[in-house]
Amino acid sequence: MNTSPLVLEAQNLVVNYKQHRAIDTLNLSVPKGCVYALLGGNGAGKSTTISTFLTFNRPSAGQVLIEGQSPHEQPDLVRSKIAYLPENVALYELMSGLENLNFFCTLADIHISREQAGQLLSDSGLQADAHGKRVATYSKGMRQKVGLAIASAKHASAMLLDEPTSGLDPSAANDFAQRIRAAADSGMAVLMATHDLFNAKQVADRIGIMKQGRLVEEFDAHTVQHDELEQKYLAHARGLE
Amino acid sequence: MIATIIHKEFVSTLRDGRLWILGVFLLAIFIGFFLASTHELRQLREEKHSVGLTAKEQWNTQSVKNPHSAAHYGIYVFKPDLPVAALDPGLRPFVGQSLWLEPHKRNLTRFSPSTDQILANRFGQATTSFVLYALLPLMIVALTFNSVSQERERGTLRMLHSLGIAAKPLLFGKLLGLLSAFMLVLSPALLIALLLLGQNFSLGLDDGLRLLASLVMFLMYYTIFAAVSIAASAFFQTSRVSLFCLLAFWLASVFVAPRLGAVTAETFSPNPTASEFWESIKTDIAQGLDGDGNHEQRAQAFEAKVLQEYGVSRKEDLPVGFVSLNRQHNDGYSVRVHELHFDGLRDNFALQQHLTHFASWLGPSIAIRSLSMAMAGMDLAHQRDFEDAAEEYRHYFIDLTEDWDRERSHGTERSAKGQESDWRSVKAFDYSAPKIDFALRAALLDVMVLICWLAVAIALLTFSAKRLTP
Repeated sequence: MNTSPLVLEAQNLVVNYKQHRAIDTLNLSVPKGCVYALLGGNGAGKSTTISTFLTFNRPSAGQVLIEGQSPHEQPDLVRSKIAYLPENVALYELMSGLENLNFFCTLADIHISREQAGQLLSDSGLQADAHGKRVATYSKGMRQKVGLAIASAKHASAMLLDEPTSGLDPSAANDFAQRIRAAADSGMAVLMATHDLFNAKQVADRIGIMKQGRLVEEFDAHTVQHDELEQKYLAHARGLE
Repeated sequence: MIATIIHKEFVSTLRDGRLWILGVFLLAIFIGFFLASTHELRQLREEKHSVGLTAKEQWNTQSVKNPHSAAHYGIYVFKPDLPVAALDPGLRPFVGQSLWLEPHKRNLTRFSPSTDQILANRFGQATTSFVLYALLPLMIVALTFNSVSQERERGTLRMLHSLGIAAKPLLFGKLLGLLSAFMLVLSPALLIALLLLGQNFSLGLDDGLRLLASLVMFLMYYTIFAAVSIAASAFFQTSRVSLFCLLAFWLASVFVAPRLGAVTAETFSPNPTASEFWESIKTDIAQGLDGDGNHEQRAQAFEAKVLQEYGVSRKEDLPVGFVSLNRQHNDGYSVRVHELHFDGLRDNFALQQHLTHFASWLGPSIAIRSLSMAMAGMDLAHQRDFEDAAEEYRHYFIDLTEDWDRERSHGTERSAKGQESDWRSVKAFDYSAPKIDFALRAALLDVMVLICWLAVAIALLTFSAKRLTP
């Protein structure tokens, strides 16, 4: 049982899109140093949960909290405490990785030198000769690394990942998982929406399965067996449970 | 924060191939048009100067003759064009630049276009100013239609939002960054234009101020287009819808509004036809204005007054030339009638120009066209100023010849003579265009419309920022 202080919390969260209920009474918590993987099929509500923490959506009922405070009431919280990595890390194509990092950091009020920026990119796994190249020439994995560098630079207390390994080759996915684990081990709370069971089992501390906006199952990732997890996931996906 | 966004937009815009391709293309067109118009203007100025000198010399070298006959020889005067007119020929293609000054009649050949052409023809000429007011805004639209929608489509907007970036500094940073890059690309064209003007003409302080004012006004104009484009890009969900709407705005502002404005002006305040105009002058001279009596009654009254003044009972006994006196009297009345009708027509032109602004809700292009013409000294107000100066000069030299005629003859005889020294003593027409304050006063409504549009564009940008969602 992780007794670390809670960083991310969803309390009876309900999110409606017009007539559609995207999130239905969701309760989850991610303590400091924990990686929480949200599994589920398309439309299960994983990305909507992430988006609600990012204030892209407003809760219809309930609330989300970041270190006990609502980001919807105090939007500056988002800026200072959360790092966000979408499925495709969106960067400015005409700027280099280094320039992108500097740009996003400056906007987040983080001032780093060129050397520090280079170090952050290297620490995130981006080769030095790619730092100055335009992002238009980067692979998806390289973009993810720039995204990680931005997250590291922020010293955020929580990281929100939306399908971060989708489209990455196995080696890049493994490399990425290790870096996420390292970030959590350094004290960051990570909430990750993914389809990738293997990745979830490899990196997460807790795993939740979502279906039609509800959290239908939760596991301790260290004790659940991969086969059991796969069977549960497929059963929910096929509507057998 | 906004400085970072400006810098990023500036760098990104400069790295965007579209800016350079469009910039080089438009630079080539601009320089081409400007070279042609500079050459045309220089040639025109030389021709006007040369013909003006020849015309005055022909006047000077008239033989010994009756002064009034000499006056009928007439003098041509020309409107001197400012160097800034190389940027915008304004109304030059539609109004005569020369005036034939002669006794009895105020000639304004430029009035025939007002009856033969529609007001809409004053717009849409392929000139340097066309590049400035029509093509450059299109370039801005091409560069900015997806400035925000692309960020939404690519996901960078969500990244920015996740960092807590407020939409307002983002959009205004984009606006300023884009304008900075745009100005950098535009600056070679401005420098070349300035060099060409300096090489071809002698530029004075007033010319410099007019150029500066034009630059400021066009910058405002481009800011309006950039702000509206960014606002549309933020407001609409996709780049395609944004581009469609912005092209519609550009077309409406540049092409539809001037024509709609012209139709409005002609509908609400039509001009008389040329025949109606001259007929009404003829009628008023013959019939007399309110309470003045007809031509015969006025002639009889004037004769009686002159005879009484000189204490004689017959015209033949007058110590001065009655023919000249009578002519001056008739001319004086004719001038009054002409002035009334000409002022009425020119007031109507000015009113029409103001009425065209009814279509300014479609876009700011009418205002910038008028402003550009005013700064170039090629608008209605400058034309009117020239005409008034020419009319004053006409009075001067006609009165002078009449003085000679009257003083050198007696009664009803027509024996007065003048010679070359008399003709040479008539001063040449010396006219300088009014200064920039005159131009700004004349274009006050246009300036106000442009400022209103700028305020609307900023308001649209602010509104779009408020409802911007990733």
